[in-house]
Amino acid sequence: MRLFRTVALGATSLALALSACTSGGGSTSGPTTGASTSPSTPPSSEPSGSAGAEPSGSGTAGGPTIASTLVLAGPPECPERPFCLLGLQDTYGLQFKEFRPTDAGGPITVEALKGGDAQVGLLFTSDPAIETNDFVLLEDDKGLQLADNIIPVVRQEILDANPGVADVLNAVMERLTQDELTKLNTAVTVDARDVAEVATEWIEAQNFDAASAGIEGEITVGSTNFYEQEILGEIFAQMLEANGATVERKFQLGNREVVFPALQEGEIDVLAEYAATALEFVNEGAGEATADAADTASILRERLAESDLTALEPAEATDQNGFVVTRETADQYGLSKLSDLAKPAP
Amino acid sequence: MGPDQGRLTMELIGEVVAWFTDPANWTGTNGVPNRLLEHLRLSGASMLVATLIALPAGLAIGHSGRGGLLAVAVANLGRAVPSYALLLVFLPFFGLGDAAAFPALVLLAIPPILVNAYTGLRGVDRDLVEAGRGMGMTELQLLLRVELPAAAPVVVAGLRLAAVAVVATATLAALVAGGGLGRYIADGFGLRREDRLIAGAILVALLALVVERAFTFAERRTLLPGDQRRPSTADLAPPPLQSGLR
Repeated sequence: MRLFRTVALGATSLALALSACTSGGGSTSGPTTGASTSPSTPPSSEPSGSAGAEPSGSGTAGGPTIASTLVLAGPPECPERPFCLLGLQDTYGLQFKEFRPTDAGGPITVEALKGGDAQVGLLFTSDPAIETNDFVLLEDDKGLQLADNIIPVVRQEILDANPGVADVLNAVMERLTQDELTKLNTAVTVDARDVAEVATEWIEAQNFDAASAGIEGEITVGSTNFYEQEILGEIFAQMLEANGATVERKFQLGNREVVFPALQEGEIDVLAEYAATALEFVNEGAGEATADAADTASILRERLAESDLTALEPAEATDQNGFVVTRETADQYGLSKLSDLAKPAP
Repeated sequence: MGPDQGRLTMELIGEVVAWFTDPANWTGTNGVPNRLLEHLRLSGASMLVATLIALPAGLAIGHSGRGGLLAVAVANLGRAVPSYALLLVFLPFFGLGDAAAFPALVLLAIPPILVNAYTGLRGVDRDLVEAGRGMGMTELQLLLRVELPAAAPVVVAGLRLAAVAVVATATLAALVAGGGLGRYIADGFGLRREDRLIAGAILVALLALVVERAFTFAERRTLLPGDQRRPSTADLAPPPLQSGLR
């Protein structure tokens, strides 16, 4: 009797689970090498990307676009964000085959690209994963993203005493391409190398003009807890030292909410910032930042002047939303910029 | 600050209620019925596979009494690994979606089922088993007619623990583009939409409660006549000592 009840219970849960399996069906497709390690067929879930879902978008030319054959991976909020899917639709006219919610520029998005579950992914433009996985960062040729170019913020007092500081730091900005910044980040985070050592090596490789700025006195270089800003701070510090300054380093100070007041109060003199984000921080989110680095930098200078600060020249390098594809996808469709995705599918 | 926060809390409760009463949240791919079905599918499939692996293994070890300590040690070791870590480990092999969460959930469910099946069987009165053997029962008959009925409440308790853990943890699938009720939590967090996040958490908690009650009911039904409601020997009970060791 009792056994019957046990069996009945077992049967019920079995039925429940079986119904689950039958409605699943297909095995996971995808070129992942390890797929064969699973003996059982994993339950399929969401409409899988490889299923015959008809592309929802069509290009202006009428036929399907490249984007309409590709899957986009990004953070769950992406479909409702102007700098993500909404912007891709409005600014570039892109309709993807499917959007898959992953993470905000993290390992899950990277895995989705590597495993072929998605072909286009949202990462940050200076993410070391771009370098280590040989991803191709698609150029934001229609200026969707705000210009978060690297830009040194300096206390005006320091510049007045030593105009040479601007020349030295601007020379660094001039050499800081996207590629160089990503490589610096990779050396420190992926290869786990010493920040000072990486900075020294980079400076040597640049072959800057011999020390000539003749800076005098003490300068304090600050940084937030973010490794990228610390690397840049270290480069600033070594460059200033090479030009005669006595430099004090105050790294790992916390976040922008801590570091900016420190700058205003003179506890630190120099800080590597991001143009658009710094501007929107100083103007309290007034929405003045644009996709243009020079414009954003000049408005930033105006806003900073109120607290006796200024900004130098922006670098080419950014740390902002960036859409990447694998090298394979880029070669297959001839992709180098975002607007390429709107071209007709081959 | 105090009254302000009180007002905010009231506002939030209102928003959550509004979320539940919005018909748009009850239809389509992102509607509650579909997400609930996805959640049950993933949980059910994980429980099925885990049961197929762990129950026979636990019963065999419990019946024979061999390798029990080792099995329990390995099972408990497995339970120390967080499912979130397993999710990321499996991701490169199984790809995005529920597929990556599935093996993590199976591994989560195996230890309680295995350990309780083993512990339950070892806890059966040895005299009972010997009496059966004296009557000429085969080993399989002993297992199915004597040991399993007597141990059923403990075995089912293992299934209950596993099922509740799986239902609650299946929310992780949403982190790797999977479906289920975790979608509301992951999306709500990303969008800073607290109403959606809290609604998702409430739904998962309710589902876990329903599952828990269902298994508790089943546990009660498996009690032998005259048997008191045993304390659910949870899952961590040390294996009982074997009688007649000397």
